Amino acid sequence: MLFLEYLKSVGLESPRSGDEILLADGSRATLLYNPTAVTCGVAEQGEESLVVVYDQEDESALTFDLMPYSKLSLVEVFLAGAKARCRVLQQAGSVCDITSIVVADAEVDYTVDMNGRGASNVLRSAFIVGGEEHSKLNVRVNHNSPDCTSDSLVKGVAGGKATGEFCGMVYVAQDAQRTDAKQTSRNIEIGADAKIITKPQLEIYADDVKCSHGATVGQMDSEAIFYMRQRGLSEKQARQVQIEGFVREVVLSSDQLGEVLAEELTHKLEIL
Amino acid sequence: MLSIKNLHASIGEKPILKGINLEVKAGEVHAIMGPNGSGKSTLASVLAGNEKFTVTDGSVEFLGQNLMELSIEDRARLGLFLGFQYPVEIPGVTMANFMKMAVNEQRKFRGEEPLTAGQFLKLMKQKSAVVELDSKLTSRAVNEGFSGGEKKKNEIFQMAMLEPKLAILDETDSGLDIDALRIVATGVTKLHTPENATVVITHYQRLLDYIVPDFVHVLYKGQIIYSGDKSLALKLEKEGYDWLINDYKE
Repeated sequence: MLFLEYLKSVGLESPRSGDEILLADGSRATLLYNPTAVTCGVAEQGEESLVVVYDQEDESALTFDLMPYSKLSLVEVFLAGAKARCRVLQQAGSVCDITSIVVADAEVDYTVDMNGRGASNVLRSAFIVGGEEHSKLNVRVNHNSPDCTSDSLVKGVAGGKATGEFCGMVYVAQDAQRTDAKQTSRNIEIGADAKIITKPQLEIYADDVKCSHGATVGQMDSEAIFYMRQRGLSEKQARQVQIEGFVREVVLSSDQLGEVLAEELTHKLEIL
Repeated sequence: MLSIKNLHASIGEKPILKGINLEVKAGEVHAIMGPNGSGKSTLASVLAGNEKFTVTDGSVEFLGQNLMELSIEDRARLGLFLGFQYPVEIPGVTMANFMKMAVNEQRKFRGEEPLTAGQFLKLMKQKSAVVELDSKLTSRAVNEGFSGGEKKKNEIFQMAMLEPKLAILDETDSGLDIDALRIVATGVTKLHTPENATVVITHYQRLLDYIVPDFVHVLYKGQIIYSGDKSLALKLEKEGYDWLINDYKE
């Protein structure tokens, strides 16, 4: 089931911002549908769950303000070439979990400001571009306070004549001691005309920090293809399984929403 | 079942197999031993169709077909199984899903209906018992984060699921502790029938205490230089290869 079909299946025939989605585990998420400009605060010790869907080529600017010890779970799905800026401001002890799926030539920008001690941020993103598409994803995490952790994993797949760009930045301010920051970019180019551009960067002014970043751009893993074919899968099937597994890792979860996101990714891979 | 005649193969320009001759019949167990770098793993890879190697001469017949003309997957679907020395990790693909695809592809090849979800789960439960594989592993990504022992058990589990005619086990015993070795080796013997055949590639006699071979071959510099029965493995364990390979040293 693809994302818009999923919304229909939970009763959202013509989705609107503010609609509630009842998730399979009984929890609820609020839908934002092609938002233009939204500022959303999460109260102290409060919890929010949001699902943002873009299926129009609009521009949008979202700001999330996380009060101390609040929690935000944010899922963003880009089905069309939107230009979206998302800003997350995190106060002390707040926890933010972002999953972002891009299957169109969107330009997406995440800026996270860790403004209070002990905040944590996890971002998982996958982009898949094909044909003549060109997508851009920027992730900037500013560690402005001590004892914060951030972990960003971005996976990219480009096929056809498409280009996928990732630009990452982890900034650690001078007094943001004991920062633990990780940023990883993993990519696969399918065919000679596909292109991935990845630029992970670190800018560190504190001395007691644990920061790592890494980027890889690869082709398919021929040993894994051989392994799967040795068990009886066709070459085409093996390639598809491998690449599906590669992107599915960012949404690999047992919940229904994760499954729908994974299917959206698989669908895009099939039409690459 | 398998008939290898004068098989030559190279990697790039470098010849590795230099005239292998081997006959394997249904119901037989063959052990291939030999010092490092003699070409044992290459032989296994070439039979499975690994495209890293080029076959430069000779012929291989498997169940009446010219094996070298078949794709990797068709060799597998005909019933050739390779137990990998280094099983490959496939992130994001669960073991259960992977096996379901493999089993059903092989069934399709034989003109059989795919298994239903229920039949498949039952089969998986039954076969994972053969190697005492922790059932949790089947819901994890293929080989990802598996210990050395779990990876090897997982190879034999897959063999049990696919019921091959010919299983070639490439150093299935390497990196196993004594308990895991016993489980893996008894798993292999449980799967042995008069209709199938097993070729085990190994460095150590201890595996052959469980999997008793009908024939033991010594591979050296790309050729089988000596064959014998199971007592040969014991002699090699005691005396090493020197008495055999002295004549072949340059």
